[in-house]
Amino acid sequence: MNAPFSGKRGESAFAALCDELRPDLYRFAFWLARDRQVADDVVQEALLRAWRSRESLTDTTAAKPWLLTIVRREHARIYERKRFETVPVDDLVGSESPELAAAEEQETMDVRRAIFALEEDYREPLVLQVLLGYSTGEIAEQLGLTQGAVLTRLFRARQKLRRQLGLAGDGEEE
Amino acid sequence: MQCLEFRRAAGADPKHLNAEAGAHRDACPKCAEFLRETLVLDERILAALSVPVPERAPAEVAPNVVAFPRIERRRWMALAASIAGGVMVGTLLWVSGPRASLAEDVVRHMAHEPGVMVEASVPEDAAKLERVLERGGIRLDPDAGLVSYAETCRFRGRNVPHLVVQTDAGPVTVMVLPRESVAAPVQFDEGGYSGTILPAGPGSIAVLGREPREVMDQVAERVAAAVEWTTG
Repeated sequence: MNAPFSGKRGESAFAALCDELRPDLYRFAFWLARDRQVADDVVQEALLRAWRSRESLTDTTAAKPWLLTIVRREHARIYERKRFETVPVDDLVGSESPELAAAEEQETMDVRRAIFALEEDYREPLVLQVLLGYSTGEIAEQLGLTQGAVLTRLFRARQKLRRQLGLAGDGEEE
Repeated sequence: MQCLEFRRAAGADPKHLNAEAGAHRDACPKCAEFLRETLVLDERILAALSVPVPERAPAEVAPNVVAFPRIERRRWMALAASIAGGVMVGTLLWVSGPRASLAEDVVRHMAHEPGVMVEASVPEDAAKLERVLERGGIRLDPDAGLVSYAETCRFRGRNVPHLVVQTDAGPVTVMVLPRESVAAPVQFDEGGYSGTILPAGPGSIAVLGREPREVMDQVAERVAAAVEWTTG
C-alpha cells in the first residue's frame, strides 16, 4: 500500500503539509467554535491525532478534507466535553481578541457579526464554500447531506445574511 | 428558467452557474444585478471569514508537554523541527524556482471573480470605491469610465485594488499592482482575455478584457493613464 507519509521523509512531508494547511484548519475551527482559544485547542488536538494516524493517509490530494474532518470531529469532541455556555452574539464578538474585535473596517465587522449569528447548519457549509473553496458536492460529502440539502442551506445562509445586513433583494421576490 | 429558480441557484452557488442559468442571466438584467450583488456579498463574507491566524499557535509546536507522554513530546519536537525545515526548503524553492508569469497570475485571479466583468450601468457604491482606491494608494479620474465593481483582493500575498471599468469597448478589469514591476509593457492573450501590463507608478497596472488585442491596447493606455498614485 502506498504510504506517502511514512518514514522520515514522510514525516517531513506531513509536517510541511500541516504547516501549509494550518491557516485553513484554524479558520475552520474558529468558525465552528467562534472562539479563538477553543480554535487553538481544536487545531492542536486535531494535528496530534492526524500525526498519529498520518500513515493511513494514502492519497495526498485527500489530505485537506481528511484534516478538516479531523478538526470537525475534534471540535465536536471538545464541545461535548466542555459544554460551553450560551452567550449573546454581541458579547461573543466583543469579547474576542483585539485583532478580531477591533475592526479593520466596520463593514467587515458587520458581516462577521452576522455570520456569528448564523446557526451552525448554515454557517458551516458557507465557510466550506466561501472560505475553503469546496464544491457543493464536496460539502455534501463532508457533512453527510444530499447536494440538494446543501444548496438549500447555502441559499438560506446568504438570504439570512442579506436580511441581517439590510441588503435589498433576498432572492425570494419576483 | 424563471427568475425565482435563477435566484435560488445563484444564491446557493453564485460562482458555478449552469448553462441554463447563464442564459437567463444574460437575458434578465435584474437577475444579472442580483448575481452581481451576490458576488459582492461573497467577497464581503470572505473578508469577514478570513480572521487573523496566530503566527504560530505556541501549542502547536510545543503542545502542553506535561499533558503528553514523553514519546509525544519527542514527536512534537520532531514535528516542529520538520515544519521549520519544510518552511526553509519551501522558501528556498519559492525563491529559486520559476514563478508563474504575472500575466498568468492576473488571468488566474479572474477565475475567482466570474460574473463581475459584465456590462453594467449601476456604479459601485461610492463609499466602497473610495475605500478600495484609498487602501490601494490611488485615485481614479472619473473620465476613465463608470466603475461597476471595486474590491480589495489578495494577489501574490498582497492586497491590491481590483476594478471593473465600463468603457466604450465594454467592461475591462483593472488591477493595480504597486509591488509588481515590469520593465516594459507586457501584452498577453490568455484564457480568453487580451490584456496589457503597463509600468506605472512604483509598480504596474494590468488592464484586460474580452476585446481583440488592438482594441484592448488603446483601452489599456487610456485607463492606466486615469490612475493617479497617491503613494510612492
